[in-house]
Amino acid sequence: MIATERVADPSALPAELAESRVAAVLRHERVPFVSYPYEWTFGMLRDAALLELDLLLDALDEGLVLKDASPYNVQWRGTRPVFVDVGSFERLREGEPWAGYRQFCTLVLYPLLLQAYKGVPFQPWLRGSLEGIQPAEMRRLMGFRDRFRRGVLTNVILHARLEDRYADRDARRELRQAGFHAELIRANARKLRKLVRGLRWDAGRTAWSGYGEANPYDEADAAAKEEFVRSAAGARRSRLLWDLGCNDGRYTRIAAAEADYAVAVDADAGVVEALYRALRDEGAGTILPLVGDVADPSPGLGWRGEERRPLADRGRPDSVLCLALVHHVALSANVPLRELLDWLAGLDTALVIEFPTRDDPMVKRLLDRKGPGANPDYETETFERALGERWRIERREPLPSGTRILYRALPPS
Amino acid sequence: MSGLVAYLDPGSGSMILQAIVGGVAAAAVVGKLYWRRFLGFLRIRKNDDR
Repeated sequence: MIATERVADPSALPAELAESRVAAVLRHERVPFVSYPYEWTFGMLRDAALLELDLLLDALDEGLVLKDASPYNVQWRGTRPVFVDVGSFERLREGEPWAGYRQFCTLVLYPLLLQAYKGVPFQPWLRGSLEGIQPAEMRRLMGFRDRFRRGVLTNVILHARLEDRYADRDARRELRQAGFHAELIRANARKLRKLVRGLRWDAGRTAWSGYGEANPYDEADAAAKEEFVRSAAGARRSRLLWDLGCNDGRYTRIAAAEADYAVAVDADAGVVEALYRALRDEGAGTILPLVGDVADPSPGLGWRGEERRPLADRGRPDSVLCLALVHHVALSANVPLRELLDWLAGLDTALVIEFPTRDDPMVKRLLDRKGPGANPDYETETFERALGERWRIERREPLPSGTRILYRALPPS
Repeated sequence: MSGLVAYLDPGSGSMILQAIVGGVAAAAVVGKLYWRRFLGFLRIRKNDDR
């Protein structure tokens, strides 16, 4: 639960709060960085689900219930999930089922089942609809064999059928008359908890899992890179660090030692999941791992596109790491180098950025796939000139392999 | 989130399901639910006959 206190003296509040007729005013601690379920990994959504179910069970003990089950009510302090919606608790009305059950299915359970049973990433589904996956849709996604997997027959198949049949009925009154009681909510929540606990996703060898060991550059490069990142981070402590293309988090950890909070982003959900599990087991509290693609970032969603914000609107970093990222954005996503640097310059932060030259094995591989003459703007001189136009380059260091160059750059002002 | 009571549609089918999946404790509730419906059904039939 988010730390919350009652404000004893409302007169000390901003006028619009103090003047309105409210029963009480609560003050919460601030979450370091807001994130959304479509940016979480499987393990994160699973842990958020378990937190919600545990809170529901605790609430029932107190004669309360959660009136919803939105995963958007969960935020993170590092790898620790925090429930932020104090207003979700309400007094349990005798004879009423859990109003949040349907939402729990559409936004939490179905996405988890989709990934655990079908190996389909849930993030695009949640980003595609803030309402999640509907029971009828989920039923169609389940094959014949899936019906026999744990939780599917009841929570998906039967759920979809009942929803179809009872669309125009008021089940609330009928259930109360039939003697529905809180023990049934408790039993259902326990079953859901057991089901969610048992769900596993094996990330397998996704694109970059294991990139750390199998990469073409050697340990000397990695050591030089570590030293570079350490000295850049040590030069000035940062409030909020972004590591874009964090991979296994090796450099995030180094830079995060000199930051109040770090957000580690990678497009590969597999490596982010591995990082999340490692950090969670260590109990680390200042690095938030997220799934995200620089070339296809989280948009504004919901009403007026403002209910869920783009990444940069949720807190500007004052330090950014871009290691082994530029070639992917420029060559795989075909974003012109100047465009990428313009966007980074807009963040107005200190920057550590790595440029793999055209001789780099990884760059060669990406270019070879495209045929001769591809991405002619991808040149060290072009990159350096564009970087120099937007930043003050403080340090430049080619790595021992000779095919990668590191830069530390500061905003010109 | 909004502070309104029942701002979320719990879904009738979703509510019924919760009575059904509750195991042994649910059996009585479900039995009663459908028994009441059955009686209602008979009453309607009776009315129709008249």
